[in-house]
Amino acid sequence: MKTRITYLQPPTSPFSAEQATLSSSSLNIRDLDAVKEVRVTVNVAEIGAEDGDGDTLVNDVLNRSDEIRIRWAREEEGGVAGGRVDPFGSRVSAGLHVGYTPLRTSPGDKEGICNLLRRLFDKGIQCENHSESFTTSSRSSKPTYQFYTSLPEHTLSEYITKNICRGDGPCATAGWERADSIDLDYDAVSGTLVVSGYWSQPDSADGWTEEIRAPGNDRDRVEVGLLGTEKAVEAEEIKMGGLLGVVGVDEALKPALFSFPSRHHVLPSQATFSVSFPQPTGMHPTMTISLSPAALEYPAAPEDTTCALHAYLTLPSYIFGDKYQLSTTDPLFLDSHHLVALRAVSGATDLEAPDWFVSHWGSNWLLELATPTDLPEERNVTVPLHLRYLRPSETGYRAAGVPWPVVFWACTAEGGTKMGVNPFDRVNLGWDGLFGPRTMFYQVHPSGETSRHVEELDVPVLRLNEGGFFRSKAVELGTVAALILGLLWVLWKLGAVARSGGQKHDKAKKSQ
Amino acid sequence: MSSKMALFFQTPALVYGSAIALRVILLFYGAWQDAHSAVKYTDIDYLVFTDAARYVSQGASPYARDTYRYTPLLAWMLLPTTWSGPSFLFSFGKALFALSDVLAGWLIARSLVSAYGMDAPRALKYASVWLLNPMVANISTRGSSEGLLGVLVIALLWAVLRRRVILAGVLLGLSVHFKIYPFIYGVSIIWWLDREHDGSSSTKTPSKPTTTNTSTTLSQILNFITPSRIILTLTSLTTFLLLNILMYTLYDTPFLQHTYLHHVTRIDHRHNFSPYSTLLYLSAAGEVQGNFESLAFIPQLLLSVVVIPLVLAKKSLPGTMLAQTFAFVTFNKVCTSQYFLWYLIFLSFYLPTSSMLRNPKFGGLVAALWVVGQALWLQQGYNLEFLGLSSFVPGLFLASMGFFAVNVWILGVIVDDVGSSS
Repeated sequence: MKTRITYLQPPTSPFSAEQATLSSSSLNIRDLDAVKEVRVTVNVAEIGAEDGDGDTLVNDVLNRSDEIRIRWAREEEGGVAGGRVDPFGSRVSAGLHVGYTPLRTSPGDKEGICNLLRRLFDKGIQCENHSESFTTSSRSSKPTYQFYTSLPEHTLSEYITKNICRGDGPCATAGWERADSIDLDYDAVSGTLVVSGYWSQPDSADGWTEEIRAPGNDRDRVEVGLLGTEKAVEAEEIKMGGLLGVVGVDEALKPALFSFPSRHHVLPSQATFSVSFPQPTGMHPTMTISLSPAALEYPAAPEDTTCALHAYLTLPSYIFGDKYQLSTTDPLFLDSHHLVALRAVSGATDLEAPDWFVSHWGSNWLLELATPTDLPEERNVTVPLHLRYLRPSETGYRAAGVPWPVVFWACTAEGGTKMGVNPFDRVNLGWDGLFGPRTMFYQVHPSGETSRHVEELDVPVLRLNEGGFFRSKAVELGTVAALILGLLWVLWKLGAVARSGGQKHDKAKKSQ
Repeated sequence: MSSKMALFFQTPALVYGSAIALRVILLFYGAWQDAHSAVKYTDIDYLVFTDAARYVSQGASPYARDTYRYTPLLAWMLLPTTWSGPSFLFSFGKALFALSDVLAGWLIARSLVSAYGMDAPRALKYASVWLLNPMVANISTRGSSEGLLGVLVIALLWAVLRRRVILAGVLLGLSVHFKIYPFIYGVSIIWWLDREHDGSSSTKTPSKPTTTNTSTTLSQILNFITPSRIILTLTSLTTFLLLNILMYTLYDTPFLQHTYLHHVTRIDHRHNFSPYSTLLYLSAAGEVQGNFESLAFIPQLLLSVVVIPLVLAKKSLPGTMLAQTFAFVTFNKVCTSQYFLWYLIFLSFYLPTSSMLRNPKFGGLVAALWVVGQALWLQQGYNLEFLGLSSFVPGLFLASMGFFAVNVWILGVIVDDVGSSS
């Protein structure tokens, strides 16, 4: 097991040597104002149950997988710019995102990945198997299957502590339950599982105060970095400097200064967006993305790149876009919504099915947004969406949460150099694969005015009050009664015609 | 004023000119609105047709377009909309649908003259119920294909009334291939097409031999099988089968799935005018123990295919077709306002002898109830779709029941009127 802990201090925050004291057995951090990233790399064989045996379920699924990319993000975010700073700028919408490629040689049971998710995150996750619940994207070839579910709470931190960290080292004491986002990465080539957590704020107002102990054996390794960012020379680069050390090995923290080209960058903290649905939402809610003037400003990207503003929507199955409506090239429609084009769509885009007939988790939409030539005060981008019918309920309504999208500038280079080695790189976020490998992303921050980045919609459904008058039985009997009465009325009328016609016929016969 | 009106209907050029002008104006207005407003005049269905036509022009299947649930013929007909060239080519289909409207109106007027012995101005007056109907012109120019079906059905009626049996058979097969529901007309036409009506016995002689009761059943059956009935059945079945075989060879299972099987498997849980819609929502969500809705075809087909044709067909074929269509739409599991066009096209034949026109107050009441029934439903629909209010029960449920009651009552009036005509 390898554990890497990075503290990243804001430039304004002072640092004195006594805040980090290294001894032969531990590193003590005191009142350190910083964001924190913990990256744990374990061999799959090391994952185990509490009693020491391997976790067969998880091991089986991993052994039959080519790659698994799990991204979980908290619904509530705090702090300036949601606590995202370079080089940890990348985002996903709140909830659980899964990318999955089964091994072609031994596909195994299709429910495996769903069982894995239930085991790691929550017993109640609605997921049948990767072919029915997961969606595929035509654009990015890997990972093959995608899945999303909203997940405000989960049991992953418990699983990480007990089954992956398996002890009381810095991995176990990292405080996973307070992490703002957690990534799990597995690929068959390396056979390792990488668990990364990100904490945008210290767990106390004074800052981080932690004891990072040296591992008890030779195989394990604990690296710590106390870093800050500085202005880099090249626009695509991020420059970092500070102290690095291996706990239990190094006698002192060593100063370091390095820079690297970074895929993800954050925009200035004034570059924000917020999301709302104007009332009444009806069955056709309009997602409104309000962008601050700074968010509309062309990013400080390298000169040889071309940038465009994008929004990447993650829509659970009960809400969807009409891909034909949104992929239009009609400038009137696009201008009225401040859209440029629908760049990519995947998942459940059926226009008619009720929610309970949609097996897939939902859909993803990559929209290019229009940016004005002159900068207005604020600008709204609107995305017309539609709701599916949901099951009846007692109140006549059902709540439907819609996570805020990810909003970013994507800058593509004409030729450009390949992204160099970045120790903090993050890929497989769902939206990054829709762009070329040399694209750089500049993140717009979710507005800090509302801390929860999920909008709740009230979906009208059939009101079923099993105790009261509006029971399903009443509707059924009422319909049957009306239809039988209607049928009898028309038949009676027809009977009257037939009778009178018969009489006429008789009369005609008699008169002959 | 009335003399001016009379003059208007005495001049066919004026009537047809107005009908065409109305549609041309709407076509241009539609093009203008589409070009200047983000809210489009063009119906979404038209985009489905033209998308499908584009797929066909690229050598692909029209069913590559989601929600294309029509015969490939429609996509083929709209191929000119995919040609590169002036932008008005995109409106080719709308113009075609609008032209079908006018053609249907012309056939209505012709049939009224030839089969009802009406004088031309009177026939034109009644045909104007269709020709100058703004609702009809609006639906066609927005790009809904119902006008195409209208002209097929009216041409079918015209061919039958003119005793052009082979043509009638071909048109019947084609209409059913196009939209299934015209199969109900097959029954009434066959029942109507006895020796008295098919032109084989030109004088009105009592052809029934005065036999005793013992052999009546057999002789009735033998009497029933006439050359015209056989020809109609064979030509319509052949046309229907040939078209389907052709489309199946070209487009395989997707053709069957989207054109026909879809109507069997569809769930139709979304609210619509049908009395079944609330129940279908409940049963689709698994909230109903019974399976009543699966029997919905029984009252619908009992009325529109069996009892109405048997009782009414020999009295008035167009009146019967109106009653059949009205029953089919009223008792259908899905009903949207486009379906109303299916029976509106027969109004011109029904109104001249109807109690609604004999007693204009009564007629006004019928029309008012039909409109109010829809308006009440639409208000509930608006509350749901746009205000997000849970208006399924009692609102939409009662509104669709009320509209159903109005329709059933009107159907009773139509049956009375058609039954008393001869």
